[in-house]
Amino acid sequence: MTAPVPTTVSAVTCLGCGCLCDDIEVRVAGGRIVEAGNACRLGVRWFGDGSTPELALVQGARATLDGALAAVRRLLTDAQGAALVYLAPDATSEAQRRAVAIADRYGAAVDGATSDVALGGILAGQRRGRAASTLGEIRNRADVVLFWACDPAERYPRYRSRYAVDPVGAQVPAGRAGRTLLGVSVGAARAPSDADVPLTLAPEQETAALGALRALVLGTALGELPPALTPLADLAERLKRGRYVALVLDGEPGAQDNPSRVEGLIALTQALNTPTRAALSTLRAGGNRSGAEAVLSWQTGYPAAVDFAAGYPTYGPERRGIVRAARGEIAGALVVGSVAAMPADHLAALRGVRIAAIGPRASASPLGCEVVLDTAIAGIHEAGTAYRLDDVPLPLRPPLRGRRSLADTLAMLLAGAAQ
Amino acid sequence: MTAGGRLRIVGGAIHDPANGVDGEVRDLLIEDGRVVTSLPDDAPTLDARGMVVMPGGVDIHSHLASSSCNHARRIEPEEHAACPAPAPRLADGAPSRSGTGGTVPSTFTTGYRYAGLGYTTVFDAAVAPLTARHTHAELDDTPCVDAGFYALMGNDDYLLRQIAAGERGRARDYVAWLLGATGAYAVKIVNAGGVAAWKGGARDVNGIDDAAAGVTPRAILETLADAANALQLPHPVHIHCNNLGLAGNSATTLATMQALAGRRAHYTHLQFQSYGGEPGKSWSSAARPVMEYVNAHREVSVDVGQVMFGPAMTVTADSPLEYLLYKSTGRRWTNIDVELETGCGIVPLNYKEKAAVAALQWVVGLELFLLSEDPWRVVLSTDHPNGGSFLAYPQLIQLLMSRAARDAQLARVNQKWLAGSAMADGLAREYTLNEIAIVTRAGPARLLGLTRKGHLGPGADADVTIYSREADIAHMFSTPRYVLKAGELIVEEAQLRRAPAGARFSQQPGYDDAALPSIRDHFDRYSTVSFENYPVRRT
Repeated sequence: MTAPVPTTVSAVTCLGCGCLCDDIEVRVAGGRIVEAGNACRLGVRWFGDGSTPELALVQGARATLDGALAAVRRLLTDAQGAALVYLAPDATSEAQRRAVAIADRYGAAVDGATSDVALGGILAGQRRGRAASTLGEIRNRADVVLFWACDPAERYPRYRSRYAVDPVGAQVPAGRAGRTLLGVSVGAARAPSDADVPLTLAPEQETAALGALRALVLGTALGELPPALTPLADLAERLKRGRYVALVLDGEPGAQDNPSRVEGLIALTQALNTPTRAALSTLRAGGNRSGAEAVLSWQTGYPAAVDFAAGYPTYGPERRGIVRAARGEIAGALVVGSVAAMPADHLAALRGVRIAAIGPRASASPLGCEVVLDTAIAGIHEAGTAYRLDDVPLPLRPPLRGRRSLADTLAMLLAGAAQ
Repeated sequence: MTAGGRLRIVGGAIHDPANGVDGEVRDLLIEDGRVVTSLPDDAPTLDARGMVVMPGGVDIHSHLASSSCNHARRIEPEEHAACPAPAPRLADGAPSRSGTGGTVPSTFTTGYRYAGLGYTTVFDAAVAPLTARHTHAELDDTPCVDAGFYALMGNDDYLLRQIAAGERGRARDYVAWLLGATGAYAVKIVNAGGVAAWKGGARDVNGIDDAAAGVTPRAILETLADAANALQLPHPVHIHCNNLGLAGNSATTLATMQALAGRRAHYTHLQFQSYGGEPGKSWSSAARPVMEYVNAHREVSVDVGQVMFGPAMTVTADSPLEYLLYKSTGRRWTNIDVELETGCGIVPLNYKEKAAVAALQWVVGLELFLLSEDPWRVVLSTDHPNGGSFLAYPQLIQLLMSRAARDAQLARVNQKWLAGSAMADGLAREYTLNEIAIVTRAGPARLLGLTRKGHLGPGADADVTIYSREADIAHMFSTPRYVLKAGELIVEEAQLRRAPAGARFSQQPGYDDAALPSIRDHFDRYSTVSFENYPVRRT
């Protein structure tokens, strides 16, 4: 028996983090991924070997596809008025569009994996707007890059090498040497250790510091800065002197982080556009998180926290689906995408709720699901679209085939739904 | 009703200006989605006696399905909350979708509302090529209308480099490649060079010979107009001029038109480009000189971009303009710089009758309509949602058809900057139904090169709108009795009954393959997206 000849699929998009690097060279042999060239450690882990189960179970027993879909429909019908469609982070936008259609059909709430962590940024953007850019503008133009309370090395390993600060850009021909790296650490939230200009703030100073920086940029600062904040004057000057300034923050901060950080940075970035040009870059974790917000926005007008119970979409950040589930107000939930990618507190909120899970490795779910339907993994077996953290849509080129896609499975679910 | 795809629409007054038919009472015959000349006697009928029959409306310039629109949807959740849109009840229990309205409605609601207005063809006027994939997805979720979009090229880094190097042939190849790669229909220029200048720190360009972006707007305009014409695109280059929205900008508008004299070109939302006065000092209408030029030059076409009083959402690739709006209004502001290509700016606005500039803008738009001598080259638009929603078209039609309605509103608006305007001097003209049919369907279809749209001759797509004849013109045009899309009745008795998917218009002109290594090299150097992943491949 001869060993299988490896084949290589080029320009594969990685969903390991929100950077969505689309230069991955995936080698496949014997129906398994054997190498993910160009991928970082997160990417290598995300690609794995591409193996995934193919089960359909109802109440733990093997079922036909049709039988499992019928059981999902029954569950959603039974829960009408108290149903939740939960978007795990790893579905294609094609699957997300169908998931939202299912929620519309059954009068369900729609919530997702990022609602807790990303909602602060979404709401701040709705109060102020935002000044942002796609990542290529930062790569090609940014001569000053400020990492605020984040170091992409941990959760976004290739951000620095692909976007900022390392690469050569059209207006930054010297690459790293042509850029000033500013780093503001806030308590335990550290900026990169190699910042040209490092600054450390205590957590309780952060909100005041952001306000003071904005005032300094606008030239409206009144009086002297308190001694602890005097380094901000130099920082503000460096920001104002940049030709194109990128401010980078983690869009999915921890629960202990300052909730007003994102609004302070939005306001600072907007203010910087008077003395110079500036863009805020918001880091997002893996999967297709920005895509979920995009799909919800175009189908409902709202980027998150939608509920169709009224017969049309309503917006309720404070009473979003997972919050209602924690209060015992959700009777049945359809999880779309990988249960394994759900945050622990969301799993906890759904304890005791009747659950159907349709997605990759659904059968391995710890949720005690009534129905599970395993599907392909987006970007590994399933083609489609995913959105980079800067809202740029990219195609997924699956290196493996032969699994039923999540998007097709949801289409079948919809096709059989009663009107 | 349409057994075998057949239908005889009986006894309506047909307004089909493309075929010289002006209100003649006759039957309209439909089979398999097209207009035909004969049908079997037993074909189903639709009684249109006493009604007005027109081709389906064609919107040449709207912002309905783009990444920019989607950012605009997010910025004002309260306007969606004020305008819920339950799923319509379709015939035979067919599935439909709920959504929300507001200045930028959700996609399904947008499609339903266009259909409910009797519009069956719509073009999104500004799509960043990098986000073309997004626009296709939104259009896939916008039922009832056939659609296409224009690709933004007036600040494209590769293109500007080719122009700077004198490589106009290479620029033309790139235009062709980009149209094919994105599935776009036409070439759009927004503030040529100005957005690139803004991204580069120079704030904007101040006229067509300002080289702040490295090349002049004049060179960009000439190159792209020539490329579109050389590629024989059905729609010529679609131009949003420099200095949009600024007092005194009619000089720039006329300079742009003169720079492209003799070349086919479409100038969009001309209202926003037709102001006299001086920045920071005064405003006045310059509709007269601008429309005089348009009237005298047959190669020029325009749409008006009428301002309608009420809430609006300014959403444009002209990001330096939006920065100025943000600074002057203090409202919410979104700016997205799009790598190597363009920008995006968003600021919500509210046009008020008592606001002096808004009143002038309203007047300028109406003057352009009323001073035009050739309705075939002057298209009705509000630059949705910039000047107002497309849902305001019926009110705009009323203003065009009724001097009394116009004068009543004119008396209410702020008069500060209206002295010397043609409207203040009195414009008696009232549009006829046939002229309305021209500026809302026949004209735009012809300007877009859509040979099966905008008319009711044999072979035309059976996109038909049937209105009850009413004294209340706005009501008549806001609630068509029947709308057919490709021969299918989608609106019956003013209710949406069917919501078929629309078709997509795109262009794939040929180009010299020798251009590809240079384009690829540019991608490899400067883009963050792999060259292989840039083109949209639709199945």
